[in-house]
Amino acid sequence: MNDLLLMCTIAGRDAAIPALRVQTILEIDDVTPIPGTPDFICGLTPLRSQALTVVDCALALGFDQPCSSPDRRAAVVEIDGHLYALLVDSAQDVSEARSDLVAIPGGLGEGWQRAGLGMVETETGPVVLVDIEKIIAGPPALAA
Amino acid sequence: MDELLADFIAETREMLEQSGTELVAWEADPSDRARIDTIFRFVHTVKGNCGFFDFPLLEKLSHAAEDALAECRAGRREADPPLVTAVLAIIDRIGELADLIEAGEELVEDQNDMALIAALEADAAIEVQSDVVPVEPVSDEQDDAVTTAAKRNTVQRSIRLPVDLLDEVMKGVSDMVLARNDLARRLREAGEQPTIDGPFERLSAILADVRTSITRMRMQRLEHLFTSLPRLVRDLSSELGKQVMVDFEGGEVELDREMIEMIRDPLTHIIRNAIDHGVESPVERLQKGKREIGLLRFAARQSGNQISLLVSDDGGGINTERLGQKAVAAGIYTKAEIDRMSDAQKHQLIFEPGLSTADEVSAVSGRGVGMDVVRANLERVGGSITVSSKPGEGTSFHLHLPLTLSIIATLTVSSGGQNYAIPRSYIEEIVFGSASSVEFAQAGARRLITFRGRRVPCLSLADVLGTQDNERCEWETKTLVLVRLASEDVFALAVDRVHDHEDVVVKPIAPAIMQTKLYAGTTLLDDGTPMMLLDLPSIAQMRGLVGEMRSKPAIADEQTQKKAKNGVPLMLFRGLDGRRRAVRLELVKRIDTVSCDAFDIDGARTQAVIDGRILPLAGLEHGTLPEERCRLIRLSDGDSELVYAVSEVLDAAEMTDELVVSADDASIEGVTLVEGKPVPLIDGHTLFFRYSTPKRIEQPLKCRIPQDSDWARTILEPLVEAAGYRIAEEDDDDADLAIEIAGNTAPHGPAKETIRLRPDPEDAGDGSIYRYDRESLLAELKRVRTGRAA
Repeated sequence: MNDLLLMCTIAGRDAAIPALRVQTILEIDDVTPIPGTPDFICGLTPLRSQALTVVDCALALGFDQPCSSPDRRAAVVEIDGHLYALLVDSAQDVSEARSDLVAIPGGLGEGWQRAGLGMVETETGPVVLVDIEKIIAGPPALAA
Repeated sequence: MDELLADFIAETREMLEQSGTELVAWEADPSDRARIDTIFRFVHTVKGNCGFFDFPLLEKLSHAAEDALAECRAGRREADPPLVTAVLAIIDRIGELADLIEAGEELVEDQNDMALIAALEADAAIEVQSDVVPVEPVSDEQDDAVTTAAKRNTVQRSIRLPVDLLDEVMKGVSDMVLARNDLARRLREAGEQPTIDGPFERLSAILADVRTSITRMRMQRLEHLFTSLPRLVRDLSSELGKQVMVDFEGGEVELDREMIEMIRDPLTHIIRNAIDHGVESPVERLQKGKREIGLLRFAARQSGNQISLLVSDDGGGINTERLGQKAVAAGIYTKAEIDRMSDAQKHQLIFEPGLSTADEVSAVSGRGVGMDVVRANLERVGGSITVSSKPGEGTSFHLHLPLTLSIIATLTVSSGGQNYAIPRSYIEEIVFGSASSVEFAQAGARRLITFRGRRVPCLSLADVLGTQDNERCEWETKTLVLVRLASEDVFALAVDRVHDHEDVVVKPIAPAIMQTKLYAGTTLLDDGTPMMLLDLPSIAQMRGLVGEMRSKPAIADEQTQKKAKNGVPLMLFRGLDGRRRAVRLELVKRIDTVSCDAFDIDGARTQAVIDGRILPLAGLEHGTLPEERCRLIRLSDGDSELVYAVSEVLDAAEMTDELVVSADDASIEGVTLVEGKPVPLIDGHTLFFRYSTPKRIEQPLKCRIPQDSDWARTILEPLVEAAGYRIAEEDDDDADLAIEIAGNTAPHGPAKETIRLRPDPEDAGDGSIYRYDRESLLAELKRVRTGRAA
């Protein structure tokens, strides 16, 4: 309850990221691609003297289309000592959760089921709260 | 003052402070077990630390207190007030002694100390305790006390900091350097602006200083590591029934803290091996006419941004015979391959996974996991390890470590329009795919190149990274980087272009990127763009190049192949006297052609400068050097390198006939027939014995050149580098030489000597050299070099 959420849009849906985990919001311009990595890893982008691993949230959730946003906004989070920039369609404001987490109703798609912590009510309506650890793990490997 | 000692004193004080409250509480309730434990730990630690220093008094006191407390903990004795008093008196005395040590005083045992110890006795008479007066300072003379106080005031104070904080500051400084570089570039683009350039230069200089200080903060003496070893050696040797003593050299060499922690385990492993397999039992040693006590030596030396650490024992050496058999038994090599190996190559077998020469699996080592892991761990931090051994005389492990954990010397290459870094330690040579000395071949799906008589598998970086198919690769347009892994596997990596040498700060990468097994880390270039560091051992592993297709001497023509005679490969050359000679091909590392300016000949000492390294020069006994350029064969025994001057390199051949050993000439192994003609085979062993100097102890001198002159970069730089110098970076804080060109801005930063060049031939009378007067310039460069290197 009353947790702060970063409201954003991923793959066209309203979603939220726990705001406490977000260090900053960046507008990403140059990304150095890394050959050999899975699609959802766009590459590296510098932030001060560190390199951030840029992850496309939509592809990481297993959607076909990458995030589309004119200003390429990304939330910077730290997981196990590594910094990631999570690329979203758009990032809006930080707002408070108005309810506890509830289970995600089926039918949102498998990606949401896997990477969503649950649904939360906010002033603008219900959003899916995403688990950033799951996001950076990428989509489950497809059976070859 | 000795850093270790300072640490010891700081730690003792810290514990005194912490146990202060405990002591008081203990006094209130002597039977409190928790308090006894705390205090016991304190005196125990002091006693343990005394083992590293020579403080018999301190040891005696702490030992006595420890014994008494141990009795209490075991419940054999009651912690009564007299005991508490006695222990407290001792602890106070320890505090005093620590002060004395810090002030550099001699510790003198006096009556009181004996009384303090006596007071601990369980049945000590009450009178004795009442005799224990508060301990007086050792010196009761007025002036003594004053000097002591004065000394204490000059003692360097130290504080402890969390390493995280240091890292934080270091990161901040790195950020500043990046920002500075960015700003410097913009200022250059904007042209000269005297009002801004001056302060900016000053800022740069300050930043360079700060950077150095921060780096130094993270440095620790190797002593820190060494101090924990005698104990380990003692425990292990008593466990295995051996007698070993330890000898250290170079404890003052400093390494990055983290690096010290990283090498602790590998070193422990090497020591275990040395004591378990290397050093013989005392009886055996006496039979062999050695001292019964084995010796384990550690010698550390810094050379440039490398630390070399030599760990050697005087034990039985490595049994190559048995190692070879094991390798065959384990199916790693065939017997024929083993037979072809030199001893030096056989020694490296101990780094193969799953090999151990231990017949018995002891509790200490020989479980078949081992040196391969050690090598992998060292390579992970950018280091390397080699081994050399003489039967009956001992074994040496030679570790090369980068000075700091995160800075690695790399070569930048590009593929598909992107830059990648390759650790320079793996690179053996760079050749153009279009060179006539390179032949491409195809075997199944694998590309091969034949280069210098060796067949080497070849990978295209674009193919490895999955950006371009091999089918579409135009091999002849590529540049080939010949990579030699520590496992002695060689392969060629085809890249679009080779750019530059750079020392880069490597940062870890996210697990999802690590999973590709292609990259070892990432680094940020000056302009902030990230560049990936390639993980060559892992790439070779994935492509099945490790231990599979050894680079075998390609046999020149089909006919000799059919004979299937396993001859010893040789290289034929003409010496400076024009006579044909041969050298074992396995010793030959490469062939260089250098200009004669690169030689330093000073009486019996002959050296050549190649790629900024100074190597011993042999072969001059056969004649005089040519006027201009000279061919050199570079020989390596795996440990040291030397160059051998020849008039021409003829061919590779095989020695199929027997070698007729010559008794009277130690410089040749003997004479053999090659194509029906007798050829003397030079004796590598004697050669290295005579000329060998450990690798890379010489440090190239640093030279600054103007940054803003294209002429300096394109013409001067190669000339200076060929003369054995390294071009100083902008942020290098010292240089041996600076070259100024009239009309260009002087290279900034201090230098010990300066050479001035002028753009026109007329003598200006100011001691400057005309910039195209190559001879004078080279003579001057040589003068500076020999003057300093002598």
